Amino acid sequence: MAELDDVIHQPLRLRIMAALNALPPGAGLEFARLKKLTGATDGNLGAHIETLSKAGYVAVGKAFVGKKPQTTVTASAAGRGAFARHVATLQEIIAASGQKP
Amino acid sequence: MIDSREASEALSDINDIAERVRQSTIYNLASLTMILWGVLVFAGNLGTFGWPRYAGYVWLAVYATGIAGSSIFSALDYHRTGVRSFGYRMLIALLLFIGFGMFTSWLGHFGPRQLGTFWTIYFMLVYTMVGLWFGVAFVVIGVGVTVLTLIGYFFIGAWFVPWMALVNGGGLILGGLWMRRN
Repeated sequence: MAELDDVIHQPLRLRIMAALNALPPGAGLEFARLKKLTGATDGNLGAHIETLSKAGYVAVGKAFVGKKPQTTVTASAAGRGAFARHVATLQEIIAASGQKP
Repeated sequence: MIDSREASEALSDINDIAERVRQSTIYNLASLTMILWGVLVFAGNLGTFGWPRYAGYVWLAVYATGIAGSSIFSALDYHRTGVRSFGYRMLIALLLFIGFGMFTSWLGHFGPRQLGTFWTIYFMLVYTMVGLWFGVAFVVIGVGVTVLTLIGYFFIGAWFVPWMALVNGGGLILGGLWMRRN
């Protein structure tokens, strides 16, 4: 059985990756929307996005919308691959126990 | 390694977030579209009240602007999120829906009061049905506006058209703003 991805497995990082993977490839989520969807605080979300970014799983883009700075987070191809493998491993664990995923 | 219960919880969490993203994407576009239609319907009703002879032209302009605006919002949203929510199928469905409404209005020989009531309830029926798949907000708005429309039809006399401007136009604007908060 494949190993779980330690970077993704942390609960908040799993939620971040799940949210970004629900979008089509190349599409991203603004920081504020991601915060609302995951229920995280500013500092917590920022720290976990940085961990995912260092692993190459997400790309962080910063731009100005009018005079407001806006941060957008997008899952990279490597991140999508890692997430798919992580989900497959979770399903394998459940299947091995005889439960339905 | 984790056990099957923890794996099951993680998958459930993933599905929950994916569903929230889907709903949030739909709400984002739908709320903007609702605010647009709310403003147009508000103006349409006030136009009908002020210049009843030109009501036909007023509503033609309302529908043309509404469809064009909805298409523009959808194109901008597609550019931003990569999710196409208002494609050509949706446009055809909207045209068929409006066409059927026009046919029914012609067949039923509705007067101005019946027309105002019918078109509002007809649109709200779709909101309510859409809500069964895409979220309770649509159901609340659909049922709420329908009830207020029927109150206006049966109990509000000569002020029915301004009432509809408030209930239908105002209801859509408030509903759209409420959806943006959620």
